[in-house]
Amino acid sequence: MNDQPDSTEALYAYGTGLAERLGGRAVIEHDTVRISIDRADWVETLRRARDEEGLTFFSWLSGIDWSKDVEVGETVEDPDDLVERFEVICRLSSVENADGAQFIATLPKDDPVIDSITDLFGGAEWHEREAHDMFGIDFTGNPNLSPIYLPEGFIGHPLLKSYPLLAREVKPWPGDVDVEGMPEEEGAEA
Amino acid sequence: MSYQPPATGYEALMHRSEVAVSVELQTQDMTLNIGPQHPSTHGVLRLVANVDGERITGVEPVIGYMHRGYEKLAEVRTYAQMTALVNRIDWVSGFASEVPFIIAVEKLAGIEPPERAQWIRLILTELFRISSHLVFTSSYPLELGGVTPLFHALRERERVLELIEAMTGGRFHPNFNRVGGIKPAAGGGKTQKQVSMDIPGGWLEDVKAAMERVLGATDDSDTLVTGNELIKARTVGVGRIPADKAIEYGLSGPNLRASGVAYDLRKQEFHLPYDQVEFDVISGQDGDCYDRYWVRLQEIRESVKIVLQAIEKIPAGPLRAKAPRVLKVPKGQVYVRGENPKGEFGYYIISEGGQKPYRLKIRSTSFSNLSILPWVLKGALVPDLVAIMGSLDFVLGDVDR
Amino acid sequence: MITGWFWVDLIIKVVLVLVVMIGLALVAIYAELKVMAHMQNRIGPYYAGGRWGWAQPFADALKFIQKEDLVPAGADAVIFKAAPYVVVASTVATFVVIPFSPSLVARNLDLGVYFLLAISSLTTIGVLMAGWASANKYSLMGGLRAGAQLIAYELPLVLTVAAVVVQAGTMSLVGIVEAQAAPIEIGGLSISLPFLLKGQIVGFIIFVVAAVAELSRIPFDMPIAESELTMGYLTEYSSLRFTMFFLGEYAAMISMSAIAATLFLGGYWMPFVPDSALIYVGPFILVTKIAILVFFMLWIRSTWPRLREDQLQDLAWRWLIPVALLNILVVAFFKVVVF
Repeated sequence: MNDQPDSTEALYAYGTGLAERLGGRAVIEHDTVRISIDRADWVETLRRARDEEGLTFFSWLSGIDWSKDVEVGETVEDPDDLVERFEVICRLSSVENADGAQFIATLPKDDPVIDSITDLFGGAEWHEREAHDMFGIDFTGNPNLSPIYLPEGFIGHPLLKSYPLLAREVKPWPGDVDVEGMPEEEGAEA
Repeated sequence: MSYQPPATGYEALMHRSEVAVSVELQTQDMTLNIGPQHPSTHGVLRLVANVDGERITGVEPVIGYMHRGYEKLAEVRTYAQMTALVNRIDWVSGFASEVPFIIAVEKLAGIEPPERAQWIRLILTELFRISSHLVFTSSYPLELGGVTPLFHALRERERVLELIEAMTGGRFHPNFNRVGGIKPAAGGGKTQKQVSMDIPGGWLEDVKAAMERVLGATDDSDTLVTGNELIKARTVGVGRIPADKAIEYGLSGPNLRASGVAYDLRKQEFHLPYDQVEFDVISGQDGDCYDRYWVRLQEIRESVKIVLQAIEKIPAGPLRAKAPRVLKVPKGQVYVRGENPKGEFGYYIISEGGQKPYRLKIRSTSFSNLSILPWVLKGALVPDLVAIMGSLDFVLGDVDR
Repeated sequence: MITGWFWVDLIIKVVLVLVVMIGLALVAIYAELKVMAHMQNRIGPYYAGGRWGWAQPFADALKFIQKEDLVPAGADAVIFKAAPYVVVASTVATFVVIPFSPSLVARNLDLGVYFLLAISSLTTIGVLMAGWASANKYSLMGGLRAGAQLIAYELPLVLTVAAVVVQAGTMSLVGIVEAQAAPIEIGGLSISLPFLLKGQIVGFIIFVVAAVAELSRIPFDMPIAESELTMGYLTEYSSLRFTMFFLGEYAAMISMSAIAATLFLGGYWMPFVPDSALIYVGPFILVTKIAILVFFMLWIRSTWPRLREDQLQDLAWRWLIPVALLNILVVAFFKVVVF
C-alpha cells in the first residue's frame, strides 16, 4: 500500500525459506505467511522457530473448525473440497523486525488432541484454555485446562460450526439491510 | 516460578522474622476474593488471591464475565456489519481496533483506500491513543491514592473526544471505517442529505488547539506524578517484568516497551502512513510499574507530534474507494495487526468467499497482557496488586472479547 | 465558673464543647470540599445553600442520617454498634482541655497533655472494633492495617509532645501557652516566641506527620484505602454510625490541629496582643492557626498518593521514632544545661 516495493517478494522468500528450514509447507498470501506442520512435530517445530529463527514473541494461539455442515454463518463455496478437521493455529513473531508466521497443525475431528506449548511460552496457557473452551481441543501438558471464558456448568463448545447461535434460532438473519449507499450515488443530492 | 524470599540484608531479616512468627502462630492463608465488583479492577475481573497477611502467595484471575462471543458473532455478520462491533472490543481506543479489521478486509478484497482516507485513519488512531493514555495517566495515580491528576488529565481528554465526535459522530464508538476508506463526514444515509463529503470545516485548526492543551495536561502530570517521591516509592521496583518473560507471555505495546524492548508496530507495519511521519519509540529500562507509567506519558507527547505532522500532510482526494455495495470477499486468509494503545491488536480472517467471514480470530492485547498477572503477582503485597494491575492497563472488553 | 452551680455549669460546658466540635467539623468538611475542588480545577459544592454551597455539609449529614441502618448478618452486633461511639467519644473528650483563651477552656487540667494523649489513643480501639466486628475480610484487613499504623505513629506523637513538655515545664495546656508567651532575653531584647521558633521545628514536623497518620488521612490512609479496600474498616457502616465516624474524623483533624497549634505555635496567644485582649481575641487567633494547619492537611491530601503499609511502618519505626528520641535529648540538654 505504501512505498514498499518488493515487499511481497521479500516476504515470499522469507516464508518459503522458513518453511524449508522448519520442515513444513508454506502458503503465502496477502502478506501473511502460513506454515502447515504435522501435529507430531508441533512442539519441536515451534521450539526451533523460537530458538533458531528468532520468532520469540508468542502472539496468539487458537483453533479453527472446518466443517461442511454449518449451523450458523457462512457456508463454504465447495463443500466437497473441504476436509473436515480441526486446525490449531499459532502465531509467533519477532521483536526485532516485522517477521512473523502462523503455524498450523491439523487435528482429526475424532481425536482433537495436541501437545501443549506451555513449556515454551508461558503465555500459551491462557490461549490454550480458550481454545479448549471454544473447540474442545485437548492440550496435553497444559497445567490448568479449566474453563476460562465459559461459566461453570456450560455444556458445549461454542465456536464449533455445529453450535447454534441462540439469537439466530429465534430470528433468522435479516439479510443485507442498512447498507449505506456509495458516495457517488447520493452526491447529487448535496 | 515460586516466590523467592530475599537472601541477604535487611529484607532477609524482616522475612525471617515474619516466617518465624507465622510458624509460631500457625496462621493460615486467607482467600481474598477481589472483584468482580471492585474499585480498581478496571471492569468485571475477579481475582481469587491467597493472602498471607499482606503478602500474596497466589493469584488466579477469573475472567469471562464480559465474554460476548465476538468470534461467533462475526460468523453471522457481513464485514460491513462487523465494523460496527469491532470498536467495542477495546472501547477506550475504539478506532484503533477498527482499523486492522478493515485493512484486513481490504487486503482480502483487493481494495486500496485512497491516501486521504489513510491519513485520516492515522490521525484518528493517534487521537484515540492520546485519549487512552490520558485515561491511564488519570486513573493510575488515583489507584495509588493521588486524587488530583484525574481531573487535570480527563479535562483535556474531553477536548480530544470532542474532536473525535465532530469528525465521526461518536465519542467512543466511531464506527467510522468503511471498506475502501472512511465514512464521509456528514450525511451518507439514504434519508439524509449529504452536507459535506469531507471532514468538518475548521477541524484541523481545532486539532492544533487541542494538542496544545493535551501537552499542558502531560506537563501537569509530570509535575504532579512523575517526580513525586511517593509515587516513585510505590511504583519503582514494583512488578518488575523482565524482557524475556514479557516476550514469552505476549506482552505488547507500552508494557513490552517498558521492559526495554523497543518494538513498536508503527515502525514495522505500514498499512497506515507511519513511515511518513517522524516519531520516537519510547522504551523504559526496568519493566516496573513506574516505567510503564512513564512510557505511556511520553507516548502521549509522541502522538501529539505525529498528529501535528499529519495534519500538515493530509493530501486532498476522495475519502473512499469504490467498493461493491454487497461485498463478497474472495477466498483467502490474512492476518493484519496494528499498534493499539494497549499493544498489538490483530485480526486473522479466514474467508471462504462469501459475505461473512468463515472464521475471525481477534488477537486482543489485554488478554495477553493480563495472562502475565499470576506470574508477576507472586510474592507481591496487596497494595502492590493494585499498582501492578493498574500499570498493565487492560480493558475487560479486550480481555473477554 | 459561669453560673455558680456545678451541674448547670457542667451541662453548659458539655453543650458548648459539642457545639464547637461539630461546628468546626462541619466547617472543616466544607473547607475540604472547596479547597480540594479548586486544587483539582473544579468548583466543588455549588448548589446547596446558594452560590457558595455552604449548606453542603448539612445536606450530607442529613442525607446520611436518613439512610437505612444496616448491621451485617454475621457481624458481632454489640461491638459493631459500639465502635463509632468509642471513636467519637474519645475525639470529643480531647476538646475538653483545649484552651481557646486563658479562661475559655472546659477544664484546665494540670495533666492536660497526658489526658489528651491517653484519650486520643482510644480511637485505635474503636477502629479495631469496627474492623473486626464487620465480618468482612476487607474490613478486617483495614482494621488490622489501622491498628498497626495507629500504634506505630502514637510513639512519635508522644515523644514530640514530651519534648514540648520538657521545654515548657508543665503539662497543663494553658501553662504551655503561657510558657511560650513568657518573654525570653535575646541580645538585650525581650521577646516571646512560640516553641516552633524556639528550637522545636523538628518536633513540629514530626508531630504533624504523626498527626496526619493518626488521622488516617492521605498519604497515610491505608486503613481506608478507597481504591483497594472499598472503605477499609468503614465498609459496612451506613447511616448514623457512618456519620459519627465521618464527623469524628474531621473533629479529630481539628483537635489534632488545635493541639499542634497550642503546643508549637502558641495557641491562643500572639505577640503584640495584650493580655487583657486575649480573652476576646484568643479564640480567633487559635482558630486561625487551626485553619492554617487544616489547610496544610487538605493540601497534602490533594497532592500525594498513599504510602504502602510497609513503607508507612518503615517511616515510623526507622525514621520518626529515632529522630523524636533525639529531639527529646537535644531539648532536655538545652533546657537543663544551657538555659
